[in-house]
Amino acid sequence: MPTVKLDASEISFDCAPGDSMLRSALRHGIGFPYECGVGACGTCKFELLSGAVDSLWAEATGLSERDRKKGRHLGCQAIPLETCSVKVRLDDHCRPEIIPVRRKVAFTGYRDITHDIREFTFVGGDRADFLPGQFALLTLPQVAGDRAYSMANLANDKGEWKFQVRRHPDGSATTLLFDGLAPGQEIFLDAPYGMAYLRTDSSRDIVCISGGSGIAPMLSIAQGKARDERLAEKSLHFFFGGRTPADICGEDILRDLPGYGSKLHYYAAVSDADAAHGWPGPVGLIHELVASKLKEALAAYEFYLAGPPPMIQAVQNLLVSEHKVPSSQIHFDRFF
Amino acid sequence: MKFVCMSSEIKPGEAKRVEVDGRAPLAVFNLDGKFFVTDDTCTHGDASLCDGEIDGDVVECPYHQGAFEIATGKPAGAPCTIPLRTYATQVTEGQVFARLDGEDGNADRQA
Repeated sequence: MPTVKLDASEISFDCAPGDSMLRSALRHGIGFPYECGVGACGTCKFELLSGAVDSLWAEATGLSERDRKKGRHLGCQAIPLETCSVKVRLDDHCRPEIIPVRRKVAFTGYRDITHDIREFTFVGGDRADFLPGQFALLTLPQVAGDRAYSMANLANDKGEWKFQVRRHPDGSATTLLFDGLAPGQEIFLDAPYGMAYLRTDSSRDIVCISGGSGIAPMLSIAQGKARDERLAEKSLHFFFGGRTPADICGEDILRDLPGYGSKLHYYAAVSDADAAHGWPGPVGLIHELVASKLKEALAAYEFYLAGPPPMIQAVQNLLVSEHKVPSSQIHFDRFF
Repeated sequence: MKFVCMSSEIKPGEAKRVEVDGRAPLAVFNLDGKFFVTDDTCTHGDASLCDGEIDGDVVECPYHQGAFEIATGKPAGAPCTIPLRTYATQVTEGQVFARLDGEDGNADRQA
């Protein structure tokens, strides 16, 4: 079994055959830096000082030409082939609270959330253990590379994992999920991952902002908050943006939670004014609604975000640049 | 314009971290005799860019090797996506000056 040694430290860990350097490190409770886990964000870069690795995705977008010239690799794509010595700066934030495990799960059913978002349920033989807001990496048959999907439910002993996925007409993974899965079919699920999980030690009120299938981890966070006594006194403001009224969802799940209407508030906006006829709510981008609805200075809240990159960017600009919200109060995992 | 440091304090190809008026630290870069002033803290994580490596006209963050164009603050390598703030800079008689916040507000912010 290949061993990875971290330069300038006593730390080393074994990699199971075929397991990536990143996932192996996390399985040993080591804070190897990462965000997306699928080769795009570039956070898990390391320098290979000796040894050899195979890359699952040689053209990964998280590496620049400069990175490649300098002998850098991505921890999430590198499969160690022999003993390796690597240089990487560990990050305590990335040290997993719950050790990720790869297991087989069976597809048991789905329900439609909107015209293009569907919730898929998988069941495994062990406890589904994760923090609200975290994601799983799914290995789907005939799909190149693992895909990251956030859980929409809460940890449970039944082994149930629920994901809300938006259909992409040209996406091989969503085509497989929507059209190619038979009930009972087994896939591999590796979880939990991600740092955008519900903070139970924060004394601030909570704001969740999402668009599209980014609603899944926000629903998990809202359910987690509603069921956590430590956060009973806190309010949660749930913002969801869609293009048209047909894209709006999520309120039905919030309505069933304790504290809805008093401690849990739901706001939605549609962005396409031409498609908004009959829509009783606000028209515009979701970050504009956030700025107008919240009563306190924005730096008084804890923020959780999930959605398409332009939405994340607009919200970040609003929070960080305009309202000086410390980045330690803004939680999101970048997907692309 | 605000005095930041002496140009003689920074060798070509190097950077110096400077704190002015209790604001967030600045990074002063000397690229072949031309001086640039930016924020020192990476926009991705809490790292000092002055501890990073200068590679041509970009600076690499020491944490995740994300990168920025020094002159413009434009992100030049993952995981950085938010531009680094840059400030108009002028060197007069061996003294480096920069236009910080104040009279011109956010005039130098990169879009």
